[in-house]
Amino acid sequence: MTSVIKTENLTKVYKMRGKEVRALDSLNLDVQQGEIFGYLGPNGAGKTTTIRLLLDIIRPTTGRATVLDMDAQSSSVELHHHLGFLPGELNLWRGMTGEEVIEYIGRIRGKLDKAYVRRLTEQLELDTRLRVKTYSSGNKRKLGLVLALMNRPQLLILDEPTGGLDPLMQQIFNHLMREVRDEGRTVFLSSHVLSEVQAICDRVGILRAGQLKAVERVDTLMKAKFRWVTLRFHEAVPMAVVENVPGVSEVAVHSDSLRFQLSGDFDPLLRAVNGYYVADIRVEDPSLEEIFLAFYGNGQTVQQASGLKEQVAS
Amino acid sequence: MSGVIFGHTIKSGLRATIIWGIGLLLYGFYATAIIPDVDALQQYTNLMETMPPALLQVFGVGEDMAFMSTPAGFVSFGFFGYIILMLAVYAVVSGLNVTSTEEDQGIMDVLLSLPLPRWRIIVEKFAAYTILSLVIVLLGFAGLVAGLEMSALEVEVGRLLEGSLNILPSMLLIMAATVFIAAVVRNRGTATAIAAAFVIVSYFLNVIGGMASGSIAAQIARLSFFYYYDNTGVMQNGLAMLNVIGMLAVVALLVAGAMWAFQRRDVGI
Repeated sequence: MTSVIKTENLTKVYKMRGKEVRALDSLNLDVQQGEIFGYLGPNGAGKTTTIRLLLDIIRPTTGRATVLDMDAQSSSVELHHHLGFLPGELNLWRGMTGEEVIEYIGRIRGKLDKAYVRRLTEQLELDTRLRVKTYSSGNKRKLGLVLALMNRPQLLILDEPTGGLDPLMQQIFNHLMREVRDEGRTVFLSSHVLSEVQAICDRVGILRAGQLKAVERVDTLMKAKFRWVTLRFHEAVPMAVVENVPGVSEVAVHSDSLRFQLSGDFDPLLRAVNGYYVADIRVEDPSLEEIFLAFYGNGQTVQQASGLKEQVAS
Repeated sequence: MSGVIFGHTIKSGLRATIIWGIGLLLYGFYATAIIPDVDALQQYTNLMETMPPALLQVFGVGEDMAFMSTPAGFVSFGFFGYIILMLAVYAVVSGLNVTSTEEDQGIMDVLLSLPLPRWRIIVEKFAAYTILSLVIVLLGFAGLVAGLEMSALEVEVGRLLEGSLNILPSMLLIMAATVFIAAVVRNRGTATAIAAAFVIVSYFLNVIGGMASGSIAAQIARLSFFYYYDNTGVMQNGLAMLNVIGMLAVVALLVAGAMWAFQRRDVGI
């Protein structure tokens, strides 16, 4: 496999009010050709900083990035011929129509495949005759996707691409990304939404406080997946009712509710609570941090993982 | 592709340019058409002679009141003296539009992800605003010519054109200084404030220098671009080519400095 993105100790330090803030700390990342790579982390983890470094919008404090075998900084102009980019917060010329923006960007790129653009706008159900200032956030996102995809780039860099897209459009987006991958091209997308990554990514890297904590295949990771289940009964039920059910762990009692972690099927659990009146069932996906910690273990409990998550969020 | 940003800037700046140009045309027309004859001009000059010299200096009137009573002198004071201050606003806004506005709005991220060297954004946009500035200046010239047709005043059209073109180096210098400031300072508000301060300080340096000839203030006034603008001199003797070339050389240096600074720094909000 060929590396499409390779970073070596990529570091970005900002000076804010006289203090140094390490937005990205010695990032060593290797994204392979033909994969959809999910770049995950909470807000402020350094995802956008990484993307802006890869695009040479900002310059590294130390380290370097190679994209498509070209230095991201010194060969940026040549490199950008082969890239498509969707920023996290897409801002465009408000007075122009979607069509005019596409035309303008296409002319700067030096080529515009009108038939392909038409196909994309039809797939995404985007009316390009309207002015950008009249677009909803979802439509602006769609226009951004058209702009990123329209030159059939070797590498797509997408920052939080599905924000504002409705579920149907997310399906179309997923389809488009798979199409890109099937053509041997590469997608690098940042997200903080686990389900988005789970649906389309081959591998994920998790970033926390500017540091890459882990890189793993999604299917491997999902084997360690569990759910948080909360059962509310009509009256208080002892912990012992579910404690010994296969796949159940981390049980906690809250007045008339039991909350626990469940791996595997529901059936043994439902059999165990048979005979008790279940008023409500709530199932929650774990956070990405919880999955990673469950996967990597390291002797940490899920409670510790939750604590870590709160720590990261704060 | 080369020239795309130039074309886009011309297109997007055309509306504002037409508004500014028509404003200048009307002002040029009004400033000359209101003087019905040479007697009225003499009365106007007499009125001005009653004003304190310092105040006249602020309005850009030199010591040569005899020239001021001629039609060419009147145009140099009544039109060219004021117009540069008004066009300074256009020049600062245009200078900010080269990089700062799109950077402030977050659009620059999209542009910089394209196969486009940063210097080309500056060069193409600056070239476009140079053309647009020329259009405004020429519309002002058209207003002057039309106004003079309506009045009894006679001013050589060639001299009027030179006076109009004399505005351009100063406008470009203000624009280039703003582009340079915006390329160095990332914050648009700060860049605007510094550019405005540059124009205001330059203006008062020139005014104070003009009021105190022979003093150190008069020497310092040479640092102001207004000193080289010389709206009176151009109507008396034509374009001072040395001044024009000197100002354009400073413009080229400022644009080159802006390209260098913008290339080196982080871009974005």
